[in-house]
This record gives sequence, structure tokens and C-alpha cells, in this order.
Amino acid sequence: MTLLALDQLTVMRGGSAAVASASLAVGPGEVVGLIGPNGAGKTTLLRAALGLLPVAAGRSSLAALPAAARARAVAFLPQGRTIAWPVTVADLVALGRLPHGGGPGRLAAGDRAAVGRALAATGLAGLAGRIATELSGGEQARALMARALAQEAPLLLADEPVAGLDPAAQLAALATFGGLARAGRAVVVTLHDLGLAARACTRLVMMQAGRIVADGTAAEVLTDARLAAVFGIRAFRATTAAGPIVQPLEVV
Amino acid sequence: MSYPAILLALALAVAALFAASLMVGPAGLPASASLRALFGAEGRALVLVMQEIRLPRALLAAAVGAALGLAGAAMQGLLRNPLAEPGLLGVSAAAALGAVVALQTGLAAAFALALPVAALAGAGLAAGLMLAVAGPRGGTLALILAGIALSALAGAATALVLNLSPNPFAAAEIVFWTMGSLRDRAMSHLWLALPFLALGAAMLLTARRGLDALTLGEEAAATMGTGLVRLRILVVGGTAALVGAATAVAGAIGFVGLVVPHLVRPLCGGLPSRSLPAAALGGAAMLLAADLATRLLAPERDLKLGVVTALIGAPFFLHLILRTARAEA
Repeated sequence: MTLLALDQLTVMRGGSAAVASASLAVGPGEVVGLIGPNGAGKTTLLRAALGLLPVAAGRSSLAALPAAARARAVAFLPQGRTIAWPVTVADLVALGRLPHGGGPGRLAAGDRAAVGRALAATGLAGLAGRIATELSGGEQARALMARALAQEAPLLLADEPVAGLDPAAQLAALATFGGLARAGRAVVVTLHDLGLAARACTRLVMMQAGRIVADGTAAEVLTDARLAAVFGIRAFRATTAAGPIVQPLEVV
Repeated sequence: MSYPAILLALALAVAALFAASLMVGPAGLPASASLRALFGAEGRALVLVMQEIRLPRALLAAAVGAALGLAGAAMQGLLRNPLAEPGLLGVSAAAALGAVVALQTGLAAAFALALPVAALAGAGLAAGLMLAVAGPRGGTLALILAGIALSALAGAATALVLNLSPNPFAAAEIVFWTMGSLRDRAMSHLWLALPFLALGAAMLLTARRGLDALTLGEEAAATMGTGLVRLRILVVGGTAALVGAATAVAGAIGFVGLVVPHLVRPLCGGLPSRSLPAAALGGAAMLLAADLATRLLAPERDLKLGVVTALIGAPFFLHLILRTARAEA
């Protein structure tokens, strides 16, 4: 069973391909780290996979779904952290229940349980009554992640969810993704922290200039040659008792 | 206060102001006689005053105020901007142009409802244009810019009519009409506006879950099953129907659609779905109060409603902004 299937997906922007013939299949139990330098097409790939962008060629299994069915098949956590109105954290997270007929002020028992689980997973249970727009940037990011978790879709696409979070919150977020995968769901997450990606993802997909250039385990994808060719860096790599370590050292 | 308690308090305020609006007027009738006359159990003259003058005026104040408050809350929700207001679509300016043309050409004197019908026609043209911009190939920014352009165009055309008007009386009448008023309106005005008001309110209330989802931005809303094009068309069409009908029967009345959503939002927890009904009630209360003020402050003069809402609304709005700025500093 696949939760996401991209077949030769191509997105044109300004005459050149922002995503070029990208094929990818994601199944239950996977945490797929989507890595690549700025402008590699990671965000464009996620948006096109969701059907948010017109596609020049190829297809995405999610974009083919009707909007209501798609909202129950996949949750999306965009990179831009938008909270337009001064709503409470509890109401913000409850918005994640809209695809299931719930929402702020009309939560059935199942919806309430899902909101509770999302708040607990992000460590926000104590802040549920606070106004979200008055929280710190990191707390807002966690509240928005809780919204996506409350959607309880089989697949979560998260665009740079840990940017700007403190180390504990970053580790907690990735641990949450691991928990989702063990429960039979799947996560595709874009990350800039290669060390975190190597440790927390079951699989890495590397992009460069719109193309998927490598797809496999961290050891297979993060080779010295690719780090130099794709990221332009040299990194210290080691396999330790505490797991793989990847630490960028210098620009090459 | 809980949300239902807030709605109840606002509804009670509307009811009290509505009753006051029925009781206050130049005829200086005693309250008990007024009430009996409202239900037709008094002398002929009194019944006429209550049923033909005060009742339509109070009903129109409540309906127009509710329309402006609701439309303002919906526009702010759609554009995710607290500075948005229903006039942004250019529909009220186009409605005013329709009315001005009717006044200038003498059409307004041809039959009783010629002026509001002409205003509705102007609003309808503008609404059609804005709906085209709101469609699949448009976007939020295009919507705002098109609204600004349309407002400027309709405003310039109105100024042109005034500019070239050979008749100083028509020019004065036009200027006074654009200030907004509910004086000398009949039940027929209400019946003319009511279908559009009902349609607009139904469209906006249908949009409220989508507006809630927009709190998270357009992309997140789209992935939660919100059809953005359908949402834009509901909000633009609903707002145009409400504002067009309101302007057609009452003239241009500013500030209600901008200020009222601000007032009710913090009371209702921020979400558009909760702000919408509260803003409708708040708008009704505000316009009933402002219309009462025009009668109490200067009973002998024809103080215009739009002048009063701006005179009260603007300083109050400034006060709110300063208070918010201080709280954030």
C-alpha cells in the first residue's frame, strides 16, 4: 500500500523546471527526509504533490483526489507559519478537525480525543487556553504542528517544521514523527539539519536543481561525493553506538 | 462571558435600541400609545406615524447595520486583514453612482423606488466584475486592487456628474444622499432590499468554516478541503449583495463594517465563524444607536447617518488602535 505516489512529476516555473520528472513512493511506517540545498525544489515538490500547483507533466496520487478526500488522506504543515487571528491554542488545533466535520466549538468525542493527543504530543496541553498569536515563535510552530497532527491523516507532509525550534523541541518533533510511522502512518519532512535527518528518518530523498538525485538510507544517500556535489560541503560522518553522526565542517 | 452569552447580550442590546428607536421621534408620542398604535389599536394618525414612519426606519437601521457588520467581518476574514472593510470591493461606490445618476437624470422622481433600484443596478454591475476577478484565475491581491480601481472609477464618475450638473438643487440632493440616511424610508424600501440581504447573509454564513480554515493561510486551508475559489465567490458575492442593498436604501454609511468586527472579535475568541453572527448583531446595534443619535442630537436638523457613524466611529477606532499599540509596546 502506498500513501503517496509521484510519477514523473514536472513543475515548470519561469521557463525552467522547478521539479523535473520526480518519481517517489511513500508507504506506511516511513519517515522520509527530503533534503537538498535552497532552491532545490523541495517545497515545490510538496506543493505539487498536494495539487496546490499546476503540474506540467506526470501525476501525483494525492492531487488526483477530490479535495475532501485528500484532506483525510494527507495533512500539510506549510513552511510559512500563519495564524491570522488571535485564537486560543485549543481552537487553533481544533481547526485540524475540519476535514472530519469537526472544528472549533463543535468537537465530537473523537475530535476532542484527537485534539488532546495532538496537544500532548507537542507538549502544549498546558498552553491550550492561551492566545496563540501571543506565544513565542517556537511555541506557535508547535501549535501549528499540533493542528496538522490533529488532522490524523495517514500521511503528513511537513515543510521545515523544526526551523527555529530549540534542540529539545526539534528532537521531540522528530520523535513524534517516528511515533506516527511506528503506528502505521508516514511522514515526509523537509529538513536542513543533515545530522537530524540522518538520525531521525528511515529514508532520505536528496534533491538538486529540481531532480531527485538520491533515494535510500542515510548511509546510502549521504556520501562524501554527494555532499560535495549537491551541498558543496565536506562533513564529518561516523557510525557510533548512539547512531549515525553527520556534522558539516566546511564549504568545498 | 461564554460565546452564547455574548450573542444573547448583543441581541438584547439590539432589542432595547430597536424599542427606543420606535419610541423616539418628533411627534413626541407617549410610549404606551406608541406601542398600541404599532399594532393598530390607536387613532389613525398615530397608527400612520408608527407603522409607516418609525417601524420601517427602525427595521432598516437594524437590517442595514447587520448587513454592514456581517460583510465587514467576512471581508476581514477572507483577506485576513483587520483593515479590510466592505467598501473595499467598490460595490458601495458603484451603488452610489447608480443612485447619483438616478437623481441627476430625474429618474429618481419618476417612481417611488427608482433611486434604490438604480443603485442596485450599479451594485450589480460592480458585483459581476468583482466576481469575475474572484474566480479561478484571480487571487486575493487581484481582488483588492480591482476593488480599489473600481472604487476610484465610480468615485470619479460620481464627481463628474456633480461637476457637470447644470442643476444646483440636484447637486445638493446628490451630496446629501451620499451622506447616508434612513429618514423618510418606507416599508417598500425594506421589501426591495430584503431578498438581497437574505441572499448575502446566507452566502456569508455558508462561508464561515472556510474562513476559519483560512486562519492558517491559503495553502493550509486548501489542504484541509476548503475550495478557495468557491470561498472567494461566496464572500465576494455575499458581501456585494449585502453592501449593494444596504447602500441602495440607506446611502453610503462608513465605519460600521470596519469598526464592529474589531469590537466583537476579542469577545468571541478571534475565529471568523464566531465573529460573523456577533458582528451582524453588533452592526445592528451600532446603526440603531447612531440613527437614534441623529434624532436626539439635532431633532430640528436633518443630521445625516453616515456623518454620525464616522464622527463617532473614527475617534473610537483611533482610541482602539492606540490602546492596542500600547498593549503591544
